[in-house]
Amino acid sequence: MNRLISIFYWFSLGAVLCFITLPLIVVVAASLSPTSAVTLQPWEWTGRWYADLWSSRWLDPFLASVKIATVVAAISGVLGLFAAYAVVYERIPGSDALMSCLLSPLSVPQIVKGVAVVLFLSMIGLQGFLGTPALIAAHVVLALPFVTRMVATSLANFDANLDRAAQVLGASKLQRIRLVVLPMIKPGVLSGVTFAFIISFNNIPLSVFLVRPGDSTLPITVINYLEYSLDPVLAAVNVASMAFILAVIFLFEKIGGFSAQLHGGSK
Amino acid sequence: MNALDIELVSVSKSYASMAVVRDIDLAIPQGEFVSILGPSGCGKTTTLNMIAGFTAPSRGDIRIKGRSQVRVPPERRNIGLVFQNYALFPHMTVTENVAFGLKMKGVRREEAETTVKSALRSVHLEGMGKRYPRELSGGQQQRVALARAIAPRPSVLLLDEPLSNLDLKLREAMRIELKDIQQQLGMTFVYVTHDQEEAMAMSDRVVVMWQGAIAQEGQPAALYREPNSRFVADFIGKSNILAVASTATQAAHLELAVGDGLMLKARKTELSAAIRYCSIRPESIAVLPSGVGGNGFANLLNATVRRVVNLGAAFEIDADLGSDVRLHVLLRATRASVPPSVGDAIRLGIEDADIQPLSA
Ligand SMILES: Nc1ncnc2c1ncn2[C@@H]1O[C@H](COP(=O)(O)OP(=O)(O)OP(=O)(O)O)[C@@H](O)[C@H]1O
Ligand SMILES: [Mg+2]
Repeated sequence: MNRLISIFYWFSLGAVLCFITLPLIVVVAASLSPTSAVTLQPWEWTGRWYADLWSSRWLDPFLASVKIATVVAAISGVLGLFAAYAVVYERIPGSDALMSCLLSPLSVPQIVKGVAVVLFLSMIGLQGFLGTPALIAAHVVLALPFVTRMVATSLANFDANLDRAAQVLGASKLQRIRLVVLPMIKPGVLSGVTFAFIISFNNIPLSVFLVRPGDSTLPITVINYLEYSLDPVLAAVNVASMAFILAVIFLFEKIGGFSAQLHGGSK
Repeated sequence: MNALDIELVSVSKSYASMAVVRDIDLAIPQGEFVSILGPSGCGKTTTLNMIAGFTAPSRGDIRIKGRSQVRVPPERRNIGLVFQNYALFPHMTVTENVAFGLKMKGVRREEAETTVKSALRSVHLEGMGKRYPRELSGGQQQRVALARAIAPRPSVLLLDEPLSNLDLKLREAMRIELKDIQQQLGMTFVYVTHDQEEAMAMSDRVVVMWQGAIAQEGQPAALYREPNSRFVADFIGKSNILAVASTATQAAHLELAVGDGLMLKARKTELSAAIRYCSIRPESIAVLPSGVGGNGFANLLNATVRRVVNLGAAFEIDADLGSDVRLHVLLRATRASVPPSVGDAIRLGIEDADIQPLSA
């Protein structure tokens, strides 16, 4: 019986790994393909598609996406932190209802949210905000529930006795937040912020309604390009942005990362 | 006359309409080691939290060094607190943990360093300053928690079951250490526990709580010798508690009728309420061979041995006195003492002063 179970989980693990890595391998191989049709010929490869990435056609949307994702991560990080703090930690009146309210955007499909943002902007006469400001606002709405949720979880795991211990030792509320609460929930906040960054950086369904021609994000540029041609440069874009996201995750991991969550603090 | 460090003046606390703490009056002089002892749920932690300032009393006043604290937040009460789960800051080293209170007080760095060193020395943790709490054993963590609490020199230290997460050996060693530290510092300790041995071993005074109220308070020995209620007699140590059917006052004694028709002679006492029970400590009963001796005892009773349990240091004898009365007797195991066997007829000698009449 045990044997059967172990065979089963090894099999599952293998299958999951295949599902995750095979498409990646295919994309990487395609990005190295020598012909302009996407083919798989591992014995012949070229890096010339990667050279194309430095053209402003790809570099500009990339920088725009990075800029938007950074601002979105910062804003939703701060807002999510305060929202979770008020709801979970201070337990302000009606906090349970507020929490569900804060998480409610999760249940609205992104397409619907995109349309809603466009309608809202035109209703209040602010079509001029389409482009970067609207993208940032919409992505924040999208990312906020995730960030709030993650900060809330780490706050819920926070031992209230630590706060009391600091308090009897003479720490004011501000000192307690700065010296005890924040360091303890840092991993939760950082993973929330990383999530927000990735959500914004990869977003298509919302952005597609909000970009202005000539001022596009990277995923939207890829989609537009795809309508006319399918060549290895797209694969190269994908590989590059994947590498970029991995670098971002690695960076945040280094600054007091997710694995530290396991033992409740960084060394 | 010592100045009073803490005073509780008819302090009560209710949640919704449930009274959790009722009318507690307590005056703790400077430098005393007081234990608040009681079963789970009797309101010990609530009382401690009111002294610390985390819980506001529903009624009554709490004074520290003569000043009312009702409006003073915990961070300005100058008290120390040691938690059952230690509550060390996991992201700080031992040194940083112990220095925290000093930093909050604005103590200069060089001065703080010396204080931290001496606090760590007094809990025998020199050289551990650079470690993180997770790199320490439970006992070491509890010592750090103690050092952290005493470093800022609070006027009182509150401890809420600080040893209950440690194993028995360590707990017993820490009892002695805690008491030593308290005496060296001359600091007032208020120690909450549900372990009567712990309270007896360390305290100058024990406050027994039951159902939110003080059942009895006094020095450990006095509480043990003269419990004033069935609850206290039973909770502190082991005792034979017998229901008293009626009492009669004689010239020299108080006669208590127990079981169906057995008379016990107790010393005359003044009890305001009617006597309903009496308590006899198992070790105060003498086991005599049948037939001879034992003239010194006010009570000399024939009994049959029903069971003998060897506890190592003593034998626990279950003696049947007839008339529906059974007594547990503790016979100290010495080289000379031969325990009776099951079925033996023995005689039990009890002095009148060892029978404690109880009214509740
Ligand atoms: N915030 C609260 N709301 C309602 N009831 C409470 C609250 N805090 C404590 N109680 C109740 O008050 C009573 C006393 O609780 P307390 O924690 O003081 O007991 P304790 O003597 O410390 O017990 P233990 O030895 O188990 O720690 C309990 O019956 C508990 O259920
Ligand atoms: Mg308690």
